[in-house]
Amino acid sequence: MSYTLRGRVESRLGALVAVVAAALVLTAAEHRWWPVEAVGLMLGVGLALDVVVYDRAFRYQPGWAAVPLGALELGALVGLMHAAGVAAPLWQAVALFAGGWLVAQLLGHAAFPLVRLGYAEDGGELGRYGVAAAAAVGLALAGAGATAYAQLPPVVHLAAGVHQGPLVITRREVLEGRRGAVVRGGIVVRANDVTIKNVIVVGGVNGITVDGPHGTVLDHVTVSGAQLDGIHVRGAAVMIHDCAIDMLGNRYGQGIDISYTMGYGMSMVDGCTIVGGMEGIATHVSMTEIAHNQVSRTSMNAISMTEMSMGTIRQNDVQSALGVGIYCNDRSMCDIDRNTVVGTRPDGSQDPARRGFGILASFQSEADVRDNELEANPVPMGSVTNSLIRR
Amino acid sequence: MSVAIVGSGLAGFTAYQTLRRGGLEPGEIAVFGTDADPAAVWRQRAAAIRQREMRSESDGHCLPTSFPGLSFRASVRRRSPAPLLASLADRFHPTVEEFLAHVARLRERSGWERSLVPARIGRARAVDGGFELDGHGVFAHVLVAPGHPGLNVPDELRGDPRVVHSYEPHDYAPTVTVVGAGLAAATEWLNALAAGSEVVSVRRREPLRLPLNVPREYFSRRGLAPFHRLGPEERAARLRALLAPSYPPGRQFDEPLERAAAEGRFRVDASVNGSAQVICATGFLRGYASDPLLARLVDEHELVTHDDWIVLDPDGAVPALSDGTRTLALAGAPAQWAHPAADTLAGAKYVAHGFLRRVKACRTR
Repeated sequence: MSYTLRGRVESRLGALVAVVAAALVLTAAEHRWWPVEAVGLMLGVGLALDVVVYDRAFRYQPGWAAVPLGALELGALVGLMHAAGVAAPLWQAVALFAGGWLVAQLLGHAAFPLVRLGYAEDGGELGRYGVAAAAAVGLALAGAGATAYAQLPPVVHLAAGVHQGPLVITRREVLEGRRGAVVRGGIVVRANDVTIKNVIVVGGVNGITVDGPHGTVLDHVTVSGAQLDGIHVRGAAVMIHDCAIDMLGNRYGQGIDISYTMGYGMSMVDGCTIVGGMEGIATHVSMTEIAHNQVSRTSMNAISMTEMSMGTIRQNDVQSALGVGIYCNDRSMCDIDRNTVVGTRPDGSQDPARRGFGILASFQSEADVRDNELEANPVPMGSVTNSLIRR
Repeated sequence: MSVAIVGSGLAGFTAYQTLRRGGLEPGEIAVFGTDADPAAVWRQRAAAIRQREMRSESDGHCLPTSFPGLSFRASVRRRSPAPLLASLADRFHPTVEEFLAHVARLRERSGWERSLVPARIGRARAVDGGFELDGHGVFAHVLVAPGHPGLNVPDELRGDPRVVHSYEPHDYAPTVTVVGAGLAAATEWLNALAAGSEVVSVRRREPLRLPLNVPREYFSRRGLAPFHRLGPEERAARLRALLAPSYPPGRQFDEPLERAAAEGRFRVDASVNGSAQVICATGFLRGYASDPLLARLVDEHELVTHDDWIVLDPDGAVPALSDGTRTLALAGAPAQWAHPAADTLAGAKYVAHGFLRRVKACRTR
């Protein structure tokens, strides 16, 4: 087809109507905005390529070109989603794009030519259908954007300086600390969809407690001096990014403890630095992805996935743990991938499971291990009590 | 009856299918022609040059829409995705048999025979309420699709007993000169070589190698809109350039010709020599003046012309004879002023779509 520029744009918008509808349905079903954000980016990428590249590069576009151009657009879309921080499940986003691409092909090759006699000779222009499609897509995305904007939680800026806690958050909001904002005595989250960013927490029974509310995001929080856990999560999925937790001197607390969250969705701990404590990151009865963290000087296990938990432990850096570096225990299923575990020490007890394991699977657990670097550990890797390690 | 098609060839047939798709019943359309088979003339020409495959692609058919094209139908019939995949790469070319079968099916189910009036129209004259067609009545909307006015034989070869036109039935002598550089000429080179002849190609210029008759952008508004914006001189010059003879690139032509050249059986020469047979693959007579109906139309209505062409609106209508109440449009080669590839099936569809738009926009139809 030799598209005119208007034909390219109208054909794209005409095909996007169905994708926008699917995205709105998905958004309503999942209570998340990523489908609409993804479709918005899809439209932006497509229109930009239409105007800047395709219209100039292709006087004629053979049918097969839709495949490489689709791949190009998908790559650009995924890159932009990553850059814009659109938190979309990758396979769902790819499926949405692929579905849209397929719809576009079916419409472009079959439906549009059937509906409009002169579709091909008009260079893909759709006449009043094109205008209607543009209006429909524009209105739908604008409406979704307005709704999303109206639903944005209020942003509460925490001024620099020390604020006496415990700070109890009882409404949906973004709590964003200015540089040097400190909460002394801990933060308790009691509302859904709370985001805490750039806040330093000192002391408290737990540094940050999330017990029940969903949709909590902890981004660049720093915790020290907690009496029990640095971050304490029960009955809710959380997203924790780029935190720093100092548990030195705390013999029984966990840096991050995510427990009894099975059934609330996947939690994530990514990019955190944890020093000290009994366990650095511990999960019980949970599904969790633990990635890109640095955990050191723990007194029992550096990273522990236990009590019928499931999840991934990947690309973490574990140093100087006492007893066990990475622990997969109690009928858990662990995917342990590309971690570095260095310098684990035996704890001196008679317990054979405390001999300084780099990775240990215990009590009917299953661990899939790949490409881990295990150095200077008395026992690099092992399994006990009917557990299985698959390499 | 308010709509008439003058000419029962493929261009008229394509227009008929479009009008039917637009909601007109067979009883509302009169088709004037001398042959009930719309492919009759084309079939003879294709047989004369032993054409087996169409130059056109999947949408080279007489239906008003590009989908479902012939590749889709071939895929369904053969239960194979291969034709569709080939079409995606612009490598699907229906066979002549497939195309003719498609025309026959369409002819049978579209009511073509019910609309056909067996008559040759020699004159179309503007009158109140439309156009009077040689005593067959007055029609508000008339599409003139007269076909090519005749075979073109260069003046210097007329009367030479060795000469045959490529579109006339013929066999091959031991030595053959083929005059021309288009698809018919290329096909004749291969035919004559396959028959064991020695072949000389005589041509005024090196042939262009194009997949279709004109560059692909001229099949859509992308190429047509700038073409329509050209002034008459530039447009005529562009048309002459676009209508230069060409044939498709590909090994199916190159390999046999290279092989024959290496064997001394194929060469290019500047003029007709002493070959036993001269095949003129020189196409058709050109220009409205070669067609009695069009020549008379121009004369009687003082229509604006430029060189060989009647000046037309972008949709193929004659501006001086078309308005909100009546239409006179041209199809086929005479419509090249509106669409450089008007003598192809895609061009016929283009003109037919424009004609339908005018018919449907007319309140008095």
